Amino acid sequence: MNSNGDVYRKFQKRWEEITDLPPQRVGPLTPLYKEATKRLKIMPWPVFLVVAVCVVVGLYMFFGNGITLLVSILQRGF
Amino acid sequence: MGKSSIHIIRQSAAHIYGIIVRPYMTMRSIAQSGSFWELVSIGVVLSMYFAVATVVKNPAFRPFLLTRQFLALAVVVVVTTLFASGMFWCAGKLVGGIGSYGRFFLSWSYTLIPTVCWFLATSILYILLPPPRTARPEGIVASGVFLVFSTVLLLWKLVLSYLSLRFSLRLSLPRILGAAVLASGPLFLYGYWTYAIGVFKIPFY
Repeated sequence: MNSNGDVYRKFQKRWEEITDLPPQRVGPLTPLYKEATKRLKIMPWPVFLVVAVCVVVGLYMFFGNGITLLVSILQRGF
Repeated sequence: MGKSSIHIIRQSAAHIYGIIVRPYMTMRSIAQSGSFWELVSIGVVLSMYFAVATVVKNPAFRPFLLTRQFLALAVVVVVTTLFASGMFWCAGKLVGGIGSYGRFFLSWSYTLIPTVCWFLATSILYILLPPPRTARPEGIVASGVFLVFSTVLLLWKLVLSYLSLRFSLRLSLPRILGAAVLASGPLFLYGYWTYAIGVFKIPFY
């Protein structure tokens, strides 16, 4: 009984957490938003890595060897 | 050390682990039920960076200079964090946000974890692979890896900042973007000021 009570309390706490905010709506972009955020809620690192690699490849295609200058500036940035 | 202290340390560690593997759930939990004592744990993490950066910036071992540098970094980071969180909180309120500054500040302070990771890694890398990077293939590969690493941390930071505004101020995506636009002007000027006084070339947001 006690165990059931604990489970119920946990469920109730979780339910209150989830329903605290109304779902995010961004008009016609809502399905796209849901699809993108679904992958970011748990273990988002693969998505971050893919996006980062694409960004860096883009930077290299745009700036060429100039990215070494950017990195040299960033490395002195701390 | 009391039982409650151990509980706070465990909760802080769980939250730091959580923002790595489950950022959405964890930021919601921090915003709703996090303890303000967790700020002490974040302060300890930041102090580790201050210690490393102080030694890297002052290779000569002079206790007075090291202490001064450590304190200068700590003061500027505290002021910067208060300023950045204050700007976002005010901007969030202007676009219709609901929530106290205290709860927002607590969740915002967790967004400093990616920042401190980047600054700590950059400080250590400054010793291991000092700049400038060359345009030889090795230099380009090293630059690419560093940029990927930096971009990954930046994306993590952006997601955590978004979630902090979403859960602490109950804002929608368009309002969060509005708040970011409103806060960006003062933050840019503040970043330029920290650059001008020579504390941080990249602002510690």
